[in-house]
Formats: sequence, C-alpha cells, structure tokens
Amino acid sequence: MEQQNFQERADPQLPSNGEKGRFDFRECRKLIMATGRKARNLTELHELIGSASANSIYHHTYEFFFKGHILEYTNDFAQWVGAILEARVLSENLSNIDPFRDTASLDSLREELLGSISRYIKKYGDPGNVLPGEEFYFQESVTVVFPAGFRALNLAEFLMAMRFVDQQSIYYHFFEGRSRVPAGIDDFSKWVEDTLGKKELALHIRSIDPFMHSIEGIRDQIVSLIENALRDEIEVG
Amino acid sequence: MLLSQYRGIAPKGQIELLKILGGRLKGRSILNVNSTKAGGGVAELLHRIMPIINSMGINGRWEVIEGDNRFFDITKKIHNALQGNPETFTEEMWDYHFEINRQNVQNIDLGADFVFIHDPQPVPLIKFRQNGHWIWRCHIDMSTPQPDVAQRITDYAGLYESSIFSVDKFALQLPIHEFVVLPSIDPLSDKNRELTALEISEVAKKFDLPPDRPIVLQVSRFDRFKDPIGVIKAYRMVKKYNDCILVLAGSPAKDDPEGEEVLAEVQNFAEGDPDIRILLLPAFSDIEINALQRLADVVLQKSLKEGFGLTVSEAMWKGKPVIGGAVGGIPHQIVHGINGFLVYSEEGAAFRIRQYLNNTDMLKRMGEAAREHIRNNFLITRQIGDYLSICIGVENAGKAVIEIG
Repeated sequence: MEQQNFQERADPQLPSNGEKGRFDFRECRKLIMATGRKARNLTELHELIGSASANSIYHHTYEFFFKGHILEYTNDFAQWVGAILEARVLSENLSNIDPFRDTASLDSLREELLGSISRYIKKYGDPGNVLPGEEFYFQESVTVVFPAGFRALNLAEFLMAMRFVDQQSIYYHFFEGRSRVPAGIDDFSKWVEDTLGKKELALHIRSIDPFMHSIEGIRDQIVSLIENALRDEIEVG
Repeated sequence: MLLSQYRGIAPKGQIELLKILGGRLKGRSILNVNSTKAGGGVAELLHRIMPIINSMGINGRWEVIEGDNRFFDITKKIHNALQGNPETFTEEMWDYHFEINRQNVQNIDLGADFVFIHDPQPVPLIKFRQNGHWIWRCHIDMSTPQPDVAQRITDYAGLYESSIFSVDKFALQLPIHEFVVLPSIDPLSDKNRELTALEISEVAKKFDLPPDRPIVLQVSRFDRFKDPIGVIKAYRMVKKYNDCILVLAGSPAKDDPEGEEVLAEVQNFAEGDPDIRILLLPAFSDIEINALQRLADVVLQKSLKEGFGLTVSEAMWKGKPVIGGAVGGIPHQIVHGINGFLVYSEEGAAFRIRQYLNNTDMLKRMGEAAREHIRNNFLITRQIGDYLSICIGVENAGKAVIEIG
C-alpha cells in the first residue's frame, strides 16, 4: 500500500525568519487524512496506539491544540476516554502527559500513553465497547505552512501583528514551534531573545503555560507582556 | 477578483493561503465531474467554488455526465445501498453503470492536471484516465454500506490516487490516501449574508413573531430523524419555567409521502398552542431562513440521525450557540460547552434551552465563540483552500509538512 508515503513526519525546519532578523509570521493548515483504523474499546485503543504511525501520534497529541479551545482534556485520546468511554481516572492520567516538555519525543509519548492505558486496564478492566459511530478514529495530517501576511522588524511592529494574526499563526509559532529545534522553545520568545536581545521578555513569554490557555488567551498574554515591555522602554522618569 | 469579497469576513490567513495557492497553480487545469448541474449539495458547492477558482487564474472546468432514467435508477440504488439501505443488484446493472460512463467519455475531455470525480455515479471514469492526478471526492455517508456494493465501488475508487471524504467516519476503507475535507457554508450567499434590519423585521412581521418574546427555532425538513416531536416535548418542558415561542421552519417535501405524514403528526401534536409556529416555507426561502436564524434566541438541531447538518454552522455563523443532537456531523461543529451544547434526550434539550434563556451572558459569550468557530473552520474559503492544498499535496506525496510561498 502506498499509504506509507504521508506517514513519516520529517523534522520540519525552523521557519525562515526573513532578512535582517525580521519576524515573518507564518501559519499552517492541517489536511486531515483518515487511516481507516478505529478503536471500539480500550484494548483496541492500546493496540492501535502501539502500531500507529508517528504522524498519527503527533496529530492526536501536539495538534490537539490546533483546535484552539480549552477543553477538559489535553489530547484526543484523553478526550475520547473521558467524554465517550467515561473512564475518568484514565482521562485525567492521559491529560497529564505533556508533549511539550523538553525531553518528550514521539516515542516516549507513545510509551507513556501505552503505559497509562495498560495500567488502567490491569487495575479496572476494559469498560467495553462504545456504541457504533463513537469509536476513536485514528487520523494523520499533512501540514501546509505559508506566510500569514504579517511581518515585524521591531517590538512595536511585532505587537501590532500579534493583535491581528490568525489563531493558526499563533498556534504555528507558539505550539508547533516547540516541536522544532531547539526543542521546547516557541518561535516568538526565540526571536525576542536572539534578534531583539530581550532576554527577560523572552523568558516571560516562554513561561506561559501552553496547556492552560486557549490560543486567544495566549495572544492576550503575549500582547500584555509586550505592552509592558514597550511601556518600560518609552516611559520617562 | 472574487476572492477579495471575502476579505474582512474570512480569516486573513485563509485568503492569504488562497492567493499563494492561486500563484502556485496558475495556468494549471482542474476538472470536476459530477452527475448534475442543478439540485443537491454537490452542484451547489461547485456553482460557488468554480467562479472563485477561475478568478484565481486556475483553469477550472466542470463537466456533467449524461445518463438515462435507467442509469439514474441504478445510481440512486447504489447511493441508497452505500448509505446502508439494502438494494438488490444484478451484473447487468453494474455493466450498465460502466457502459454509460464509457459513453460519456466521447463527450467529455478528461485531460487535466487535477481531476476531481464526485460521488459514485461517475466513479468508473477512472478507467479512462489519460493524465493528471485523479481524486475521488465522495460526499455521502458510507459508514455502514452494503458490503457487495462497497466492494464494487472500492474496486473503482482504489484505482484513484487519492480520495476525499466529508467526515472520517463516513469513509470507506480504501487502499489509497483518504483526505477528510469537512463541508462549509458560503458567508456571501443569501442563506448566510448579513441582512439589513429592515429585511429581518419584514420576516418577523410576515410570520407574526413578536420582538419582545424569546424565540426557540429549529430549521429542518419534516422528517422523523430531525425529531420535531421531541423538539415540541422539550419546548413544553421549558414552558413550565420560561416564556418562549417555538418556531419549526421547513419546506413541505411534496415528493416525500412520509414528509407529509410527519408534518401532519407535528401539526396534530402542536394543536391548540398558539406559541408553536409551524412555518412551511417554499423551496429557496433562503432569506427567510437567514432572518429566522437571526431573530431566534436559541437554535436547535435535535436530530436523531444526520448527514453533516450544515444548518448548525449556518446558525452558529449568525452568532447563535446551537443545541444539537450528538449525531452525524453535528459534533464536528459544536464544541460542547464552548460554543453550543450536544444533547442526547428531550430532557437534555429542555435543560439547555432553559440555561440559555436564563443566562443571557452565557448565550452571548457562546454565540460569539460559535461565530468565531465557523469563521475559522467552516467557511467556503477554508474548503477551497483544502481542495487546492490537496492538489499540492498529491504532487508532494510523502511529505508531512509542505511549505509554500
């Protein structure tokens, strides 16, 4: 089967941030692909997570944040286990797995997911099959990256752009940026530190917890941090 | 350029992406083939997207296969069987399905860089592929197909390079790439465009809807799967606590005997309550439906079975958080508790209606979230972007990340 083609996720390159340190906002779209693989119960979920492509694991964990909402859960597996299977302990457990921490890799993520599920099954058993139509459908994705139509040469321009760029651009730089090299660091704080030399502001941006905010919430926090930094710069006396 | 009409309505990024994709695909040809120019969601979609694609400098063509009654009887049966309603087929019927497609090849130029074949009627055309990338676009729900029919269609579909389905659970299991492209609404169509205060008040006047009482609305055909009786039951539960008017708006399906039966049932069930308004709208009452959705305080789509259910997106686009049955494509549109509620019973629907009527702040907040959700995910600009990105995707098969522009 040719289907292998889209599956292996190459490490994407850092966004090319323009000339002379300019920050070119980019954004992404996700083309979703069905895999035809679906789990009716926890045992099947375990089995299919074990054999799913890296692309599929990435899609159901990292790309969960592309949806832009604060939900009770932090990845598609936890969402299904909580909302459909109603296995609360396991959904809390799975929600605590953090794909953005700097030591995470797709392999370790997969192991953690598998470990949580098998510990749960061992202790509580498999809650059984869900109703037809409520199965967990494994998907993959192709990411299309393109310029968002905004750029910034300095912090003031960056602030204006942050106010207007689409959510998908904030997702691309703030969430997906962490899965690029250097791991765990978003594009915004990297540019603020490396190009503008504003280490303190960079650290503040970096300390925003990606787990705890919607994309709009993250936009608001970054805008407010930059406003404060700019005010400090222009305030006299 | 038609695209500029969407500026300020669709997200900037969606327009930027279309500009970039237009640049990449300028001068290339895209052919769409389906089985009708008028009627049905596919024709409606193609009528809307083809002018936009052509205005981008892409050479877009739309061809329709011709067939006689026998052919369309067969394809109707194929359609039904794929949706899980059993039908009987003979070898001659399958031969005829192929034969009519073969005859159409004499009249249709199948040469194009990208060829999108829509639904099962023209699926055999793949046997006459000349060049280009061939993609089978299936719009129907094939989650529980009749196995022998699914196998026949798979035999054809498997010869394509890629396929596209509307929802992952609607997909057949095929040995080729299967993209998922969710449907969309056009914010500039009469069904969804902004209306003037006058247009809205005229509709309110026409249907005698008072401006000072809350309106609960469901727009749907009179069909048991849309559960109009369940909606009335939920309304009656609400009525013990809150004043409201229930509007059930739909077109009378004259060609559907069951539709008339259901309508009579609903009218009977509602009899004697002047606050239940059953509105029979003629076909193409787009502006009326648009206005009703804007006049409503709470919108329901309490379906028991549903295709994608785009009326949910239409109401959400008007800033209404919808209370929807958790079936078909509805959970793809409503994020429970964020921009609407998913319900599983009449009691659930009643409870959520009361919640909205008693908490206008929540209604407003969730309504704004609903509109934003549609803006980001369910506008036609996103769908065109998906189609054109898939064109780039099939040319770059093997890449998980495609950088353009």
